[in-house]
Amino acid sequence: MRTNDLRSSPITHGTSTRRDFLASNAMGVGHVALAWLLSQEGLLAKQENLAKARPQFDLTPKQAPGEPRAKAMISLFMHGGPSHMDLTDPKPELTKYSGTKYGDDIGYSFINDASKILYGSPWQFKPRGRCGTELSELLPQLSEIVDDICLIRSMHTGHNGHEVSIRFMHSGIAGQLGRPTIGSWLTYGLGSESQDLPAYMVLTDPAGHPVDGVHNWSNGFMPPIYQGTVLRPREPRIFNLDAPQHLRGRLQGQNLSLLAELNRRHLQKHPAEADLEARISSYELAARMQVAAKEALDVSSESPATKKLYGLDDDVTRDYGTRCLIARRLVERGVRFVQLFLGSQPWDNHANIRGRLPQLCARTDKPCAALVKDLKERGLLDTTLVHWGGEIGRLPVIQGKDMKKCGRDHNGQGFSMWLAGGGIKGGMTYGETDEFGHRAVLDKMTPNDYQATVLHLFGLDHTQLVYEHNGRKHRLTANQECRVVREILQNG
Amino acid sequence: MTRSQTRVETLLARFFFLAAAVIVVLPAAAAEPLTFEHNIRPILKVHCFDCHGANEDVEGGLDLRLRRFMVHGGDTGAAIVPGSPEESYLYRRVRDGEMPPGDVKMSPEEVAVLQRWIASGANTARDEPETLARGVGITPEEREFWSFQPIRRPALPKVSEAGRVRTPIDAFLLDELQRRQLSFSPDADKRALIRRAYLDLLGLPPTYEAVEAFLTNDAPDAWERLVDELLESPHYGERWARHWLDVAGYADSEGDAEGDRVRAFAYKYRDYVIRSLNGDKPFDQFIQEQLAGDELVQPPYRDLPPEAVEKLVATGFLRMAADPTVASGEDTAKNQVIADTIKVVSTSLLGLSVGCAQCHDHRYDPIPHTDYYRLRAVFEPALNWKSWRNPNARRISLYTEEDRAKAAAIEAEISEIINERATKEQEFVLTALDEEVKNFPEEVRESIKIAYKTPSQKRTKKQQALLDAYPSAKITGGVLYQYNSKASDEIKKYTAKMETLRKKKPFEDFLRVLTEVQGQVPQTHRFHRGDHQQPKEVVAPGGLTIAAPEGKRYDIVANDASLPSTGRRLAYARWLTNGRHPLVARVIVNRVWLHHFGQGLVATPGDFGKLGAEPTHPALLDWLADEFMSSGWSLKRLHKLILSSTVYRQSSTRQTEGDAVDPSNQLYWRKSVVRLDAEVVRDRMLAASGELERSMFGAPAPISVHATGQIVTASARRSIYLQARRTQPVAMLKEFDAPVMQTNCDQRPSSTVASQALLLMNSDFILQRAVAFARRLRAETLSTTTGNPEQLAEQAKRAWRLAYARSASADEERTAREFLATQLPLLKERDAARREREKEAAAKKSDDEKKNEDKKKDKKKGEEPLDPELQALTNLCQALLSSNEFLYVD
Repeated sequence: MRTNDLRSSPITHGTSTRRDFLASNAMGVGHVALAWLLSQEGLLAKQENLAKARPQFDLTPKQAPGEPRAKAMISLFMHGGPSHMDLTDPKPELTKYSGTKYGDDIGYSFINDASKILYGSPWQFKPRGRCGTELSELLPQLSEIVDDICLIRSMHTGHNGHEVSIRFMHSGIAGQLGRPTIGSWLTYGLGSESQDLPAYMVLTDPAGHPVDGVHNWSNGFMPPIYQGTVLRPREPRIFNLDAPQHLRGRLQGQNLSLLAELNRRHLQKHPAEADLEARISSYELAARMQVAAKEALDVSSESPATKKLYGLDDDVTRDYGTRCLIARRLVERGVRFVQLFLGSQPWDNHANIRGRLPQLCARTDKPCAALVKDLKERGLLDTTLVHWGGEIGRLPVIQGKDMKKCGRDHNGQGFSMWLAGGGIKGGMTYGETDEFGHRAVLDKMTPNDYQATVLHLFGLDHTQLVYEHNGRKHRLTANQECRVVREILQNG
Repeated sequence: MTRSQTRVETLLARFFFLAAAVIVVLPAAAAEPLTFEHNIRPILKVHCFDCHGANEDVEGGLDLRLRRFMVHGGDTGAAIVPGSPEESYLYRRVRDGEMPPGDVKMSPEEVAVLQRWIASGANTARDEPETLARGVGITPEEREFWSFQPIRRPALPKVSEAGRVRTPIDAFLLDELQRRQLSFSPDADKRALIRRAYLDLLGLPPTYEAVEAFLTNDAPDAWERLVDELLESPHYGERWARHWLDVAGYADSEGDAEGDRVRAFAYKYRDYVIRSLNGDKPFDQFIQEQLAGDELVQPPYRDLPPEAVEKLVATGFLRMAADPTVASGEDTAKNQVIADTIKVVSTSLLGLSVGCAQCHDHRYDPIPHTDYYRLRAVFEPALNWKSWRNPNARRISLYTEEDRAKAAAIEAEISEIINERATKEQEFVLTALDEEVKNFPEEVRESIKIAYKTPSQKRTKKQQALLDAYPSAKITGGVLYQYNSKASDEIKKYTAKMETLRKKKPFEDFLRVLTEVQGQVPQTHRFHRGDHQQPKEVVAPGGLTIAAPEGKRYDIVANDASLPSTGRRLAYARWLTNGRHPLVARVIVNRVWLHHFGQGLVATPGDFGKLGAEPTHPALLDWLADEFMSSGWSLKRLHKLILSSTVYRQSSTRQTEGDAVDPSNQLYWRKSVVRLDAEVVRDRMLAASGELERSMFGAPAPISVHATGQIVTASARRSIYLQARRTQPVAMLKEFDAPVMQTNCDQRPSSTVASQALLLMNSDFILQRAVAFARRLRAETLSTTTGNPEQLAEQAKRAWRLAYARSASADEERTAREFLATQLPLLKERDAARREREKEAAAKKSDDEKKNEDKKKDKKKGEEPLDPELQALTNLCQALLSSNEFLYVD
């Protein structure tokens, strides 16, 4: 049996260059020698070490192995299942047969309310932009950026439930908890570009957490440095960010110098102790964050035109607009992944879709479009991938008895989402649902296809980006059949 | 060579083989012949057995549990053609991604293994059995897994450097170290040792005086005596109870979505754990009481002596799972409570995640679907979802017969008053009605009265219409005050009287327990796919099949006639602790090891199965488990043994040799530096600032929501006594990785994030501790003069003693002096400027405004600015409290 081979461990190499790897990083720091780096250097295969040696992790920026198009991503997550046949996927046949009985099988979630009566969209669709993609009158602002987006009309999770599909979208396996989310994988693979801010940030809604709560930004089995850092929906968006009034400025500076001095002496007695070094860096970072995060989260310096663009001048759009604007500011400052959530699941229009859908569109349409426009104007859209979409769509039939107050039930068989920037081809649609919008029939795209494509845009190969846990190699796409959808890439 | 020696070596050999295998991705696999049992069955078990073998209805008539079944095939013919993968239907379907259906496919590596196995002739390791019972069953290969082997005491390895071997623990570790030309690090200095022992055993720091006394104690057994002394401290139980409460999933709230309602009496279980640990209750007894304390007490549970109360409270362990049935009567919620309880039991005592087997055979560990329901049947008489009792219905009152009689007498009195009140009220109402009708036309007055007096359901339509036409006639007790305020006051007197009486009732205290209802023996069914709406065959109670030798599965009598209860839990608890269970003792000693060293001998304390980690030192683990049981399951003896060992007493300083071979210190060539647990950080701060309140036991200290939205507490009690609401975790503890209980917590992470730094820089919590610390320094150094730099320096010196239990070095003293000297002018300048501003503002204000100001000041007492010297000292204290020396133990 092996006796001496442990000496040749690459971990050894990692230890000796511990300081090189050690970088201060927002919200998560320290730690070294991660599987990713090793595999990049082709060392993993040679690694022969004690079983389960506790690996260590950091957020230093890492070179993507492929050719990255995107550097950052903003995901506008739309919980509940936006009604695609009312928003993004016109169905003339559905309108034509509205009120008649649907002939095919349907999987319902709410059986007691089930109906087979087809329900044509009460809203008008028109061709928009140079590309002529048809969009609903509920999304006038999206129409203005339609030439910059790729509208995917053939999303398919195969599951009608919210949580099942949410988890599928975020972390690769339908319904499964305990797995890292896309943001975790991106920060694990690429680290952070910002020395002053967390790499993965989440902007929650004043109405509360979305359905499935903290699982939406879970690091799963990865270390907590890959967890989404939640910004509170109101001030203070980060707890304890502000120094107390009476210590601000030079005093706190002196306090921190004293602390650094105490820690430096302590470290001398415990040389090369990574955890102690990490803690020291965490104070440095926190001090920088007091300035950087404060500045990043403060939209007051934005021009009046920009504020207007995002709808900060209007009560209806102010909250979501402010968060979209903050998202842009974070990405500008090197944050890798930002995700916006709405409270609960407002797109879940089981009833009174005529009343509720327009309200929600009014709240979000303008800020979402503003984000893309603004990024483009600032030359950031090329490197920033923007995602808009939920976990499911809705059924073409009515839910409830009354056509006036009806809603639509869940549909994971076919729905829409859109992507923009970061190497995505604009002004196109991809995939189709059937004539009623029930099932994706052409170029079906699963959450895993979406994830593989996202990673590809960042220069990462979804089959190669692995994380070892409990003796198994894990991937975002979970070894499920999927592909990079090259048809929607600029240089596919 | 003795048998046990052979076994140790085999284990070691296997360990190193696996250690390499895990990471090198089976390089040797190509050379070794593949067999069905070793290589193929585990893959098929994960992906295929569900439809092809596990259940009575086999899809396509194809059973994959044996090679010969595969050759025989199903409806579409042979599944495999040995030697020819391309002709093998099974392989083709798998390769083409058609099988298994659904989202989870075989990995390319697994498909490749399948291909190679068929190509190489589809060999088996041995002759296949003639017959095969239903279900997936357990194979000899699965039985060979390390954690299912009986615990046998291994012989001590012979090592050189015998001088470093203080206990058998050292021999096992040194043996491994020497194989890599390593050894233990030198002993740590005494200062480090005493700090380590205090923080580890008590979760509190030693005082400066205690350290000095230890340093000057030259007795050869000074260390052993110190350890004994600490183990006798009542704070020991507080510290180690916290570890157990993590795995038990302790919470002071039910976790219902509506309000996360408070569990008012859960704290008695917390106190039970503390008392049990302080009394060094044998751990087997501790386990038995927690699983079946109620079955050790003769019902009815009335007029209970203290020993009986203790045993009943112990079953609080089985009531720790979130219990939303306080708000919801849904069957799903009830069944979830049962599932969570089983999870608590299995992860804490068995180190296995049996939850997978709730829906199907465990895909990785040999836990058949039915085994899960055997386990469930143990608990189902007490957690009977068909006749569910919500948390309030499960309580046991501590009323004595006397209390009960007293309470009943008072209740009788009260009901008399209620009657009196009702009569009186009726009188008043009728009088009021007589008055009221005078406002109505004469011709309707009588009919209205008659209509009013007629009970509402007997009224004619006409009568009802009449009353509706004159709504002011609808007088009730509630609106009486609008008609006759005196009468209303009279009635109120009755109410007040009742309130007074009620207060005289003896306080009714309750126990949160798990009990059975006598005579109720529900049947446990296997649930198809874990769905309680699809019950299948009845399953009898028993232990996990794999936990007993082949053919000796432990079955439990369905209803023990000698006990008033079914006796199932008691039988199960006794079996778990009979000394022959392969998991329990290993799991417990591993947890103890984890808390002493920051890592377990098995790195996954809640998973000793295939997906968990292998032990780094299997022989040591077994030796400890055996030693633990044979010395009466005494936790304190185990602590003593570990703390007496060289491995524990080593210095934490990194050494080049060790770093080169084993940087993560899996071999224990040094004592790792670890960050203190959240509770210890908070308690240590309170100890340094002099605020710590050491009262033990009782109802939890209240928490509240701070203006920023964070959860805080005004209490200075030890953290274990703070109320633990699932939805309201105390911010300071949560930030430092204290668990927020969903079900339970196997192992805490130790994170280092900037939000912790922000908390230690800016939160009210740290600022308040620092101020209290500074005030303490000022009070204890009896220095009232301000502005004297010498006195300030004296106070700073004392700060070192209180924070770190050591004197400041000359260097540190200088640093402190310089710091204070830099800060003071700045603070004085600010202070002067502030006074000036206040003066100016005051001059501009009217008298009224000043009065208001004063009121505001009163409210803000304690928040007024500190004098510059105190502020400077406070800032120094804050730095000490947030320094690495304070947060880590070396």
